[in-house]
Amino acid sequence: MSNSNLAIIGIGEVPTRIMPERTRWDILYDVCMEAIRDSGLDKNDIEAVINVAPQAQPKLAAELSFGKLPEELGLKGCKDTCVCNAGGASTSNCIRLAEQYIASGIAKAVLIPHVTVHSTIPLEEQINFFAKAGVDMQWEYPFGTTYNILMGMMANRYMHETGAKPEHMASVVTALRSWATKDPNSFFYQKKVPTPQMVMESPLLNTPFHKRESNILGDGGSAMVVVSAQDAGRMNKPVAYKLGESVRYFSGTPVLRDFYKVAEGFSVTAREAMAEAGVTKDDISLWNIYMAYPMNHPIMAEALGVAPIGEGAKYFAEGRMSFGGDIPWSTIGDAPGRGHTGSGVSTAMYVETARQIMGKAGERQVKECRYVFQNTAGGSGFNNIATVWGKEI
Amino acid sequence: MDIQFDMTRPLPETQPWSKPFWEGTKQGKLLIQHCRDCNANIFYPRKVCPECWSKNMDWIMAGGKAKVYMFSTAYDMVEPKFMADLPYTLAYVNLEEGIRMMTRIVECDPTDIHIDMEVEVVFHKLNDEFYLPYFRPVKK
Repeated sequence: MSNSNLAIIGIGEVPTRIMPERTRWDILYDVCMEAIRDSGLDKNDIEAVINVAPQAQPKLAAELSFGKLPEELGLKGCKDTCVCNAGGASTSNCIRLAEQYIASGIAKAVLIPHVTVHSTIPLEEQINFFAKAGVDMQWEYPFGTTYNILMGMMANRYMHETGAKPEHMASVVTALRSWATKDPNSFFYQKKVPTPQMVMESPLLNTPFHKRESNILGDGGSAMVVVSAQDAGRMNKPVAYKLGESVRYFSGTPVLRDFYKVAEGFSVTAREAMAEAGVTKDDISLWNIYMAYPMNHPIMAEALGVAPIGEGAKYFAEGRMSFGGDIPWSTIGDAPGRGHTGSGVSTAMYVETARQIMGKAGERQVKECRYVFQNTAGGSGFNNIATVWGKEI
Repeated sequence: MDIQFDMTRPLPETQPWSKPFWEGTKQGKLLIQHCRDCNANIFYPRKVCPECWSKNMDWIMAGGKAKVYMFSTAYDMVEPKFMADLPYTLAYVNLEEGIRMMTRIVECDPTDIHIDMEVEVVFHKLNDEFYLPYFRPVKK
């Protein structure tokens, strides 16, 4: 029996691109108006705005923290607004907070927007932000860490444990990009899907990690409107109900994050979220997995029981998670396919979850999409939040 | 476009309770925080024991031997301040005292590094105040 009482009733999104001429407020206007219109509500029905914290954009973070968005959009019924920050897990926490607002009677309808414009952040600030975010400034940063290196270490360990070959790992990029090329909102929309060989022939950044396995920083934004499950049920339109959730905290400092504990955490949270939703893995129509880096997808596939232990990477190599495969997986291509928009990739994943359940995913539409499993994680992977969403309660 | 990168080598941002660790590395000693009450070896150093919240803390000297748990060798795309070091290998190493720390593996060909490789500590000077604990392969 679900402990949640929430549904996504409206979504809005702009394509992720590198477009410095498109300002942050430009995007916020577009995604918020689209989400509210899609919800079928009037703008003045929005009673709260919970913003996904914009990373590396301090001016915008301050503007949103201090209440600018409802005023800009003329949300006359808005009673309160705030910013919620847990890195890539921010959106999950915005949704939780929205549930609390709704349950306590503060608001009936809550708007959850996100925007990131990387292209106008000076390059040195971008590099510095991503070098320091999620790592310890005493015990890690002075050694020369980067996100790429942290993920490379984990991938090396996974390959050691399972015997996965570099071509298997490279095939994850091929799978993710096969979805992205079909997604008008993805950075790689209509772009050639690289073969595993092309991935491996791109420059080696750090072992075993090639340039094509890294993320492109993009500009983008998305938004959703959420209400109680009861209110959603009365709207006579397709909506996405939140059915189950579970979370585990691992560590804030990557060196304290044990490989096995993380894999077990992926598994436990999935089991608990599905149990709360009253479904099993065989019921899941789409595994909408957010890992930010391709290398962690095989680990998640095994933890979920979607692939046997040790064979996650091979499943990707066989094309089973690619567009047209038998295991629909990360249908916007995760960050490697969508383009990295900071904390916004997870917002985009929730929007995609809702889009698939609402039956509005176009060419990428998963047939008979009834239940979607979706995860998020924050920072360099300090936690894992597993959720299950469905077409009906 | 003229981009000005901060090339300052980052120093560890210490806390009062971690200063003995860095005093130790300056003297060629790898110190591990130890809880006198619950006997836990602790890394990284904390204000109180993370196991039992005791303030009854001490330091023990590590033997300096470890095994590589995971690693990655960087060839590109690091911060400009670290570019001159390329290629370099970052690793998590498991010490015999039961703790895991981040380090660099040095004094070897990066392609020879492997998981479970036996390594020993060596101290790398950043400035007069800070020496980072790096590790190198144990000579057989």
